Amino acid sequence: MFHWKKAVVIATAAVLALAGCTPADSGPEGSSGGTLTLGLLLPASTFSAQGASWANESPYMQAVYDGLLRAEPDGTIVPHLATEWSYSDDLTVLDLTLRDDVTFSDGTPFNADAAAQNLIRFRDGTSPNASFLVNLADAKAIDDTHLELTLSSPDPALLTYLTQNAGLQESPEAFDNPDVETVPVGSGPYTLNVDETVVGNSYVFDKNPDYWKSEDQHYDKLVMNVYTDSTSLLSAIQGGQVNVSTTSDNTTADQIEAAGYTLSPIENNWWGLIIGDRDGTLNPAIGDPRVRQAINYAFDRDAMLQAAADGRGTVTQQVFPTSSPSFDSALDDTYSYDAVKAKKLLAEAGYPDGFDLIMPSAAALGASNFTLIQQQLGDVGIRVTYEEVQVNDYINTIVTGKYAVTFMALQLDPTDWQLSQFELDKTATFNGFHNDDPTVQGHIATIQTGTAEEAEKAGKALNAYIVEQGWFAPWFRPELNTASDATTDVIVQVGNSYPYLWNIKPKA
Amino acid sequence: MIRFTIRRLVSGVILLFVISSVAFLLLNLGAGNVGRRILGPQGTADTVALKNEQLGLNEPVLTRYFEWLRGAVTGDFGASWFTNQPVDQAISSRLAVTLAIVIGATLVSGFLATVLGVWAARRRGWADKLVQVIAVLGFAIPGFLIAIFLVNVFALNLHWFKPTGYVQMGTSFTGWLSSVTLPIAALSIGAIAAIVQQVRGSVIDALRQDWVRTLRSRGLSENRIVFKHVLRNAGGPALSVLAVQFIGLLGGAVIVEQIFAIPGLGQISVSATAQGDLPLVMGLVLVMGAIVVIVNLLIDLIQGFLNPKARVS
Repeated sequence: MFHWKKAVVIATAAVLALAGCTPADSGPEGSSGGTLTLGLLLPASTFSAQGASWANESPYMQAVYDGLLRAEPDGTIVPHLATEWSYSDDLTVLDLTLRDDVTFSDGTPFNADAAAQNLIRFRDGTSPNASFLVNLADAKAIDDTHLELTLSSPDPALLTYLTQNAGLQESPEAFDNPDVETVPVGSGPYTLNVDETVVGNSYVFDKNPDYWKSEDQHYDKLVMNVYTDSTSLLSAIQGGQVNVSTTSDNTTADQIEAAGYTLSPIENNWWGLIIGDRDGTLNPAIGDPRVRQAINYAFDRDAMLQAAADGRGTVTQQVFPTSSPSFDSALDDTYSYDAVKAKKLLAEAGYPDGFDLIMPSAAALGASNFTLIQQQLGDVGIRVTYEEVQVNDYINTIVTGKYAVTFMALQLDPTDWQLSQFELDKTATFNGFHNDDPTVQGHIATIQTGTAEEAEKAGKALNAYIVEQGWFAPWFRPELNTASDATTDVIVQVGNSYPYLWNIKPKA
Repeated sequence: MIRFTIRRLVSGVILLFVISSVAFLLLNLGAGNVGRRILGPQGTADTVALKNEQLGLNEPVLTRYFEWLRGAVTGDFGASWFTNQPVDQAISSRLAVTLAIVIGATLVSGFLATVLGVWAARRRGWADKLVQVIAVLGFAIPGFLIAIFLVNVFALNLHWFKPTGYVQMGTSFTGWLSSVTLPIAALSIGAIAAIVQQVRGSVIDALRQDWVRTLRSRGLSENRIVFKHVLRNAGGPALSVLAVQFIGLLGGAVIVEQIFAIPGLGQISVSATAQGDLPLVMGLVLVMGAIVVIVNLLIDLIQGFLNPKARVS
């Protein structure tokens, strides 16, 4: 005989007991210094230092590895495993003095030979940033604490690279481990708790009891949860399940602030068009600077910022970041929205009736962005038709020069050299048509080999030149926000999507 | 019965072979530049080429297929292109999570659908109408909306449960139960809607049979007739629907696991498919396919157990 009333009573009691046992209100323990729970948008692609990514994945790497150098929040380079460094007069030999009191978590001592091996491995590996060390001809241990790096040509960003994934130090004894991709062996402040980690979802780190710089260990335990879905990320923040998290878009900013979190904005990329076919190979019209300038005049940047980034960010017309000495605020007034002037420039260039432009689109990048581009360019007579490409192949279409003009969000590199190598130089990944402009190449050469003063001057001239030539049509720098709860202090890092781990601390 | 079971298992293996072969070829057709996808915008052309070479992507598709097949037969499914975790580890660590949620939702929906279906069939009138309205609503409201509603009400407002995350059963049983309650509830509502109609109809049909009248005339109580005899007869069709629902719930878990940030197969199915993570997708295809084959076989066997007339010789 089935006893309904009894069953209902038991079920009700079970639910109440379950709810009573739920540690839903306990939340992360940020204020106690016990456990820090971070929200991240991406899982770790690897834990091998050789293949390490950076940016959104930097917290994983910084938990388990030390870098040779460190960057302050404003980008200033300071000692870490390397205590001193100096360049030769021709900037092709870098000598570094290393600490002698550091051991990896497997007991192997850190020394110059280990550092040399790590640098060579990174250069020869498949990290997305392996090119950071493309100019490294050789790395040699002079003795245990002295390392000599020989460069094939000067690299003004090398020290910055050594503060990032290129400088991460892994135990040489772990290089050949079969699980090197998933089990890191570094000298960092924490070690990965493999048993409690669910790869791709939640990574748990325990405090390294032998860490040489204990003042950087602000917590006993770290938990890094991955939220690839914006709904679950918002729920986790509203439910107080993370102390700190980057946010996936700006539309939830108000809800996050309403949940008691503080948003720390940073502008690390720019949105707009890459006007890549500057020689007019695919579309002759784009080869004329006046047409590229007309495209720049065609955009109402304030409206684009409002529509595409919820108004959170800063309109701009240049691709250099405000942190760069080459940034010139006056350049942001070069192309104020002026459809009449755009049409006039098109007419002067021989296109009084406009012209046809084929662009790639990917719905996953925001269908409204493509609609706005089509509408704003259409208003001045540029008739855009789209070819839909798979979002996974979108970047490939840009870097292989398949389209004359493309919509893109590109990072704002912290140094002029990095920025040049990323999107301006004739060999740069995002110079998909490999435009070889003597003026541009001349400025880049000065940035590479000139004195600091000469490099700064060349950077300013380079910035002004590419704005005037309409190499890009930037619209704005969107805010990227880091949300932190009431128990946690965060200092954002210039040029990086995530605050550096040691700059996340319990509130005093 | 043994011959039947073996035959079904063999056909299942052939089915898995066909499905995996087609999946491999389709995934390769739209693969594009895998190295670029993995390395993103920062990878240079040289690094992208090196990555493609490391992954063996310069080899012809058929060579890669036979290489994958050889590995799969020996239990080596390779490693995820995007997290470098061995595929067998990625799937085994998540299979239990998804099965816990899907089996939980199947049991809950099976039980509640039976209770509601029998209630509606016996009471008819307003009770019947109420159950049918509930069923229509359950069908009409998408699962992800139900999940978001449950999170907002029971996690964010009432704070009865955590909005996201999963607790291993070994770590804390109550914590585990708490972490799966809302996902199971979200999955169950749609399944209940599907099953309750079947149970109701089958019970109504069975109650009209002559043998039920005979049992009544022998003085058996109505509860005994319904729960011991009618349900056993009406269970067959309902069980078939339940089996279909179980398989459907595996699909539903994809969305629910995303919303609740639960580390199950559904969550990696979404990310692996979106990224085109071929080794992981292939592993998932095989595991999901095997689950479907096994569930269908089990349902056939249970049908035979419940109803001797349905047994296959």
